[in-house]
Amino acid sequence: MKGFLGTYASFTADLNLVLQLAMALALGAGAWLARKKRYRAHAICQSAMLLLNLPLIALVMWPSFDERVWPRIPQRIGKMHYAVATLHGFTGAMAELLGLYIVLVAGTNVVPAGLRIARWKVWMRLELALWWFVVATGLVTYFCWYVPKVRI
Amino acid sequence: MTASAALLAALLAAFSMAATTRAKSPAPAAQEQAATVVVKIDNFSFSPQVLTVAPGTKVTWVNNDDIPHTVVSTSDVFKSKALDTDDKFSFTFDKAGSYDYFCSIHPKMTGKVIVK
Repeated sequence: MKGFLGTYASFTADLNLVLQLAMALALGAGAWLARKKRYRAHAICQSAMLLLNLPLIALVMWPSFDERVWPRIPQRIGKMHYAVATLHGFTGAMAELLGLYIVLVAGTNVVPAGLRIARWKVWMRLELALWWFVVATGLVTYFCWYVPKVRI
Repeated sequence: MTASAALLAALLAAFSMAATTRAKSPAPAAQEQAATVVVKIDNFSFSPQVLTVAPGTKVTWVNNDDIPHTVVSTSDVFKSKALDTDDKFSFTFDKAGSYDYFCSIHPKMTGKVIVK
């Protein structure tokens, strides 16, 4: 199905892009809630974004990566559209896993005491920065794959 | 021989050679009847977008673009994997009919093979 953003992307790629940008904004809003000491709302917001991203990874991003990029690396990693997609995929996996870890530590007792983080602010800020970096690489990936004549 | 006469002779010779070469090239209709026909993929488009071939013709798609593309029939008759630069995909059209296809990565890219 054709996309709705006027590029050559499919509908699912366009929808995923819009949702990822909205989620990045929501995570920023969630960080603002923490600064305002509204921790409950902050936890709900960040957890919801993290969990919403899981089906997008499973249904949109991983199948696309697995079909088009994974079989071509490492042989074609020197090409821009493979390199940026690979960078996006690996940093995205790190961001999702780190986020899940933070949620498990903060919201449950599943993680043993010895494996729990102590410096909350540092890790959460690192997670937010990593997430936004991943969104930025996702944007570059989108332009490399779906927009003609744009070769960054 | 003056310089202008020499130049005229050279031009006439070049024109004559070009005309001979052109006459030896097969006509478009004859190309359609060939056993193998190539569809180029470049700059997010199939070229030619609409292709008419005889039954039994093998059509080969060649990706000349620097972005991967696929060739997928809308009626599930044929489907390529993701074709990287210079990769090829071939399908032999044995039955008459109209075959619409598209690139599943870039659904705006469409083409058609008419077999008759």
